[in-house]
Amino acid sequence: MKTKNILQSVVLLFVLAVTSSCTKWDVAPRDQISTESLSETKDGIINVTNGVYALFKNQVEFSGFIDDNNAYLRQYFQMSDFASDDIVCGQVTTDPLYYSFTYTHSPDQSNSRFFWYVSYKMISGTNTVIDIVENSGKIERTPEVNQILGENYFLRAFSEFSLLKFYANLPTVGNPDSDPGIILRTTANEPTKKARATVTESYNQVIADAKMAASLMNTSRGKEFASKAAAWALLSRVYLYLEDNANTIAYADSVINSGEFTIEPASSFPTYFPNAIASDETIFLIAYTQQDNRGKFGSIASMIYSDGNSGWGEEFASESLRKVMAEHLEDVRWKYIDTLYKDDGTVMTKNGIPIFYITKFSFQDGDPNLSSPVMFRISEMYLNRAEAYAKMGDEAKALADVNEIRKNRGLEGSLYTSVPSGKTLLDVVLEERRIELAFEGQRIFDLVRNHRDIIRKYWGYHIKGIQVPDIDPNNPPTGYPELVIPWNDPSVLYYIPADEILANDLCVQNP
Amino acid sequence: MKKILFFVGFVFLTLPLFSQVTGTVFDEDNNTLPGVNVVIKGTTTGTVTNLNGKFSINVKKGDVLVFQYIGYQKQELTIESLTKAYNVTMVPDVVNMDEVVVMGYSNKTKTEVASAVSVVNADKLLDVTTDDVGTMLQGKVSGVQVVSESGQPGSGSQIRIRGISTIKPGNEEPLYVVDGIIGGSFDPNDVQSVTVLKDAGATGMYGARANKGVIIVTTKTGTTGKTQFNFKASVGMKTADQGNLKMMNGQQFYDWSSELYRDPETHEIDKIKFYQYYPRELASQNYDWVNNGFKPAMTQQYHLSASGRNDKFGYFVSGNYFNDKGTFRNTGYEKVNIRLNTEYHFNKWVSMKNNFNVYANRGSYYDYMDMYYTYLALPWDNPYNDDGTIKYIDGNTPGKWWSRDKINPFHTIENSDHNSKGFGLDYDFVLNVNITNWLSFSSSNRLSFSTDKSHDFVSPVAAGPFHDKGYIHERQNNWWGGITSNMLKFNFDLGKNSITGLAGIEINGGSNDYMWVEGKGLPEGFDVPSVASSELKIGGTSTLEYFNSLISQVNYNYDKRYFLTASFRADQTSNFPVDHNTAYFPSVAASWLVSNETFFKDNVSFMDMLKLRASYGVTGDPDIGASRFMGLFSLSSQYNNNPAAIPYQLANYNLTWERTNEFNLGIDMSFFQRISLTLDLYNNVTNDLIVLVAQPLSQGFEHRWENAGKVTNKGIELNLNAIAVKTNSFEWNIGFNFAKNSNILSGIENPFYSTVNGVSQIYRNDASIYTFILPKWLGVDPETGAPLWEKVNADGSKEPTSKYKEATPQEVGKALPDFVGGASTSLSWKGLTLYASAAYQYGNDIYNYTNRFMDNDGHEPYINAIVPKSDWKRWERPGDIATHPSMQNAELSTENSSRYLEDGSFIKIRNISLSYTLPKKWSSAIKMRNVVVSLRADNVYTWTNYWGQDPEVTLSKGDWSMPGVSDFKYPNNHQYVFNVNFNF
Repeated sequence: MKTKNILQSVVLLFVLAVTSSCTKWDVAPRDQISTESLSETKDGIINVTNGVYALFKNQVEFSGFIDDNNAYLRQYFQMSDFASDDIVCGQVTTDPLYYSFTYTHSPDQSNSRFFWYVSYKMISGTNTVIDIVENSGKIERTPEVNQILGENYFLRAFSEFSLLKFYANLPTVGNPDSDPGIILRTTANEPTKKARATVTESYNQVIADAKMAASLMNTSRGKEFASKAAAWALLSRVYLYLEDNANTIAYADSVINSGEFTIEPASSFPTYFPNAIASDETIFLIAYTQQDNRGKFGSIASMIYSDGNSGWGEEFASESLRKVMAEHLEDVRWKYIDTLYKDDGTVMTKNGIPIFYITKFSFQDGDPNLSSPVMFRISEMYLNRAEAYAKMGDEAKALADVNEIRKNRGLEGSLYTSVPSGKTLLDVVLEERRIELAFEGQRIFDLVRNHRDIIRKYWGYHIKGIQVPDIDPNNPPTGYPELVIPWNDPSVLYYIPADEILANDLCVQNP
Repeated sequence: MKKILFFVGFVFLTLPLFSQVTGTVFDEDNNTLPGVNVVIKGTTTGTVTNLNGKFSINVKKGDVLVFQYIGYQKQELTIESLTKAYNVTMVPDVVNMDEVVVMGYSNKTKTEVASAVSVVNADKLLDVTTDDVGTMLQGKVSGVQVVSESGQPGSGSQIRIRGISTIKPGNEEPLYVVDGIIGGSFDPNDVQSVTVLKDAGATGMYGARANKGVIIVTTKTGTTGKTQFNFKASVGMKTADQGNLKMMNGQQFYDWSSELYRDPETHEIDKIKFYQYYPRELASQNYDWVNNGFKPAMTQQYHLSASGRNDKFGYFVSGNYFNDKGTFRNTGYEKVNIRLNTEYHFNKWVSMKNNFNVYANRGSYYDYMDMYYTYLALPWDNPYNDDGTIKYIDGNTPGKWWSRDKINPFHTIENSDHNSKGFGLDYDFVLNVNITNWLSFSSSNRLSFSTDKSHDFVSPVAAGPFHDKGYIHERQNNWWGGITSNMLKFNFDLGKNSITGLAGIEINGGSNDYMWVEGKGLPEGFDVPSVASSELKIGGTSTLEYFNSLISQVNYNYDKRYFLTASFRADQTSNFPVDHNTAYFPSVAASWLVSNETFFKDNVSFMDMLKLRASYGVTGDPDIGASRFMGLFSLSSQYNNNPAAIPYQLANYNLTWERTNEFNLGIDMSFFQRISLTLDLYNNVTNDLIVLVAQPLSQGFEHRWENAGKVTNKGIELNLNAIAVKTNSFEWNIGFNFAKNSNILSGIENPFYSTVNGVSQIYRNDASIYTFILPKWLGVDPETGAPLWEKVNADGSKEPTSKYKEATPQEVGKALPDFVGGASTSLSWKGLTLYASAAYQYGNDIYNYTNRFMDNDGHEPYINAIVPKSDWKRWERPGDIATHPSMQNAELSTENSSRYLEDGSFIKIRNISLSYTLPKKWSSAIKMRNVVVSLRADNVYTWTNYWGQDPEVTLSKGDWSMPGVSDFKYPNNHQYVFNVNFNF
């Protein structure tokens, strides 16, 4: 090769190198969309809205990894019902769900930290949509867009309300005008650090958001999504917590009178929960499809039910709840308590605790771990209204609403005509509410907001340090400090996650 | 460089004074030595010896010929007669100043090197039988910390050079350069040498990617004329190294359980109650799960290679087969690697290299839960039925199963499969063109392709969540990458002044695609995705990265006494926002070879080499992955079968490069041709650390990528090699290395934390990276038996508390060691060599996470416990000074605290080997040039106080891992291998 040729080829190679270096430098990811491009299509805001719903069920990466245990709804139910008197703990565990039974919370516990985090991730999603629709000027306000916008206001209200229940005094406890509520995040560009609003301010925000939601939503996308009725149902529940009886009744009426919903009759109630999506009982649920089956490690069901392999099956319906229901074995609501028997006909035990599995979160498509949890249903509206009437002293209307439920639960023969002796009208309403809404994340708050202690005078591992031989099936436990938690005990509240306090010194910790 | 010199040397010089002399070069055994460089001193004129070790060259009387060959001392020969045939015998070198050090883009002789580099040659490297180059480097290079974190066959090790200079999650491994090109694959058996570049003077050439150090791997080429064959076989056995982790037997666990029944009033064990629930025969039920889960396993390796070269063509071809069974049930790894390296010289101007490396591997892996249960199942349960069949256990199985979870891990292992298959190809094409005798062009190019597939299968027969359903998950990954570096190199030799250098451009890009499928509802006996009938899921995406660079370097030396190297590199990557995607990385290094000064030569006789070095430069680290600066919503989710976008990442359009300013001072010394000593001091400051800064969770994001703060790594490194005794038949060598590194953060506005499994580490000014912050454990209250932690009050006063929630998190230790190093020694007598090496680490803490379960206080009464240390004592009655709380009064005692933080220092005998080189007459009797047999033990023994599996604990920040936190891991292995090596 001649030198000239060599030089030519060298030059050629350099030219090649330089031309191929005209690389595209803004490489966008293929499975993610940038915040800026969300507003460029109508799908953008719909997808983000769907993302907020997805966060109810998704196992989201947290602290560097995806823990199957960690999903919003799993914590939503466990952190409330495991602290109540409806579910008994059958096994000591290092899973932080155990602290709900024992009331030994810490700011570091992962379930509570996750719940707080995902709640605000939902709020961040809703704020993005609200900001794009209201401020970008790129989206035309069609009824469909208003529905989406309304859903976001609803979802923000729901997340705020749920946070308030776990991390702040209920409005009927303490001093709502000065007690710290939650950190309110209502725009897409919030300051990094922010203090907690008061309980009153926080509830005002929830109500404002829910009302805005109700006014915007007019083209429902189905029960898997928020709707005008869902916003009314939320308002009814929030006003119940605020003991605003008139509004509780008004919004319950709005739902009931809409004519869209009917109480599931006794004949089909035993199969209602696996098929909630198709029922007129349902106002709003979170849809789990087959691909959302979280299995043993992450489903809501796996802690409270097992077919032998499907779940851990470590927590059961409590003796306290079963006693309340014992009077009426014909009550179809027993169908959601599945007793495990030995061959000799006695109830099987786990670590000394009789096994009464809970099946409200099982058997969608026949799968023991699959269900679409119901967030709002029509029966609750009757019970909200009944409670408000009871507090107003209107016995006839309160009992009528309670009876409306009992008629549809196989108790047509046991309707109330008056308040039984030894009970108050509120007792009757709350007892019905307890049985109807058992395991649906309501009981603990129903107790606390009505200033009723959490009484767990039954054997279970909420009692610290007991061993199997300590359990005497014939006599209730006595003398253990955990048996009664006073309604105003500060340990009813969860701690604000340590991560929040460390990075946001304006946020005060719970006592 | 050698080859370039060799061709540059072909300069037309046929002046009448010259005439051709011939000669032959021999090695120490009187074999002819082909490929030896022969150059007329003071010129670039030269040749190489041919197949038969012969050379011919035009010289004039009085010329001095210089003979150079890797591994041999330089020989000089003065031409006295133009007609005589010369015989030259090369002498093997111990401290060879002219040894070529492969530095990546360019090669240098040891004389010229002005920066901190360490070279490990094949013989030193291959004293361990493994497929992993990290394991081979452990304890051999000062300043290089190697952690073999897992004994899973096929798993690699973690390498950290000069401490930790970055704190972001992601790749923390050094940059690999194979045969001069960034990236690439290789089989350790094909490696000629490994060069570790430690300071910016050397790594500066790799600029943006050099922050974590650079490891240059050079594979073998044909070196001698005759075709040479090498066959090596290694066969060995290994056993699991459980360290200090021993699980309780039936009796021990029975006694442990009885503590649950210590009456809080009388402080005696309530035996009536205890026997009521725990029948006495349990104490004699003794199934050893660990010993049955981990069995001795076999490892084998076979390697065959051939190499040769002549004036035009050189080649190296090899095949390697490695089969490594795992000690844990149903694990193992197999690999085939084929390499073909060729080099062709078209003429004196143009040469090219074509290198292929192809590998295929497959491995069987373990499931974490299977290992978890193997350690934690109770000795009172037996996984086998009386007839020897494996027991099926689930929640409905009648009969007692004592272990907490109703599952038999051995049954699950039997009925599941976790494996992977990989295939990869690297093709290198290198073109060298000598344009003039001072200018050359070189183009180095590589295409890389690799694919791997993983397969996870659980049979419907297995107990557990997939019972009656089965589960299949497969993942396929494809990588395509390409790189081209094109540069001009120059070389001026002007008497005492010599200048060399290069300038060029490098373009690098790659794309990775993956997809996965998952399904359930498998018919029994089938394990492919097509047969899955329910819960089908798919996923996958692809990523793209570009990297462009401009490279330049100038080397100057004056009279082989003063050396200067300066380099400048500009890098541009697609990982940063367009406005911040370019960065510049200059470096400069100088050295003074004192021993080449006349005054030194005249006055100092005991020291044969003394070199002083200094370097300063900037390096970077772009390994953060694509698109970290963008505000993003993830689309890899759905709601009700509709696409869903979930807030994923906060935007930061100011995100830019981490840059490290590295300063290094070094000294190299050699005494009596016997002792060599290298000492380095360094100070590396990494600015603009890329940090995932914690956000208040109420933002809806955990963190945001930001440039914040800096980290300073300061350290000292010492490397000592000595030939203690040397006679004709006996030689004793010792080697020692030591590295101390201190790591300090600064410039961080707000301290931040990283937390995995509730264990937190703090990042704050004036503290080391990976500093643990945990409640401080104060032991046990002698009066109550309750756990005690330290509570720090607002006024700074301290008091013990038994309430965990009152305990104050404090800085209680750090995961990084104060110093690390190694030592080795070899004794040779005639053909017999005994070699031993050790590695050590001091001053790091390990969070023994698994002991939260295995050393609990009755919180987990149905999982097996670790056999206690001799000085552990459980509290029984008031007044007891105990280490472990009363089981009756141990609320939250196993929560994360310094209770489980232990000293992680260790000394480890890495290996001991005895090898025997058969006498020449024996080997030549079987037509062999050389035969070596050896017996080797790897990972022989570890001294440590750490009470768990062996103390080599992860240094990487991963999804489930935190540096310095131990979780159940695949134990490392004790390995005993027999090797035989034939050269013919």
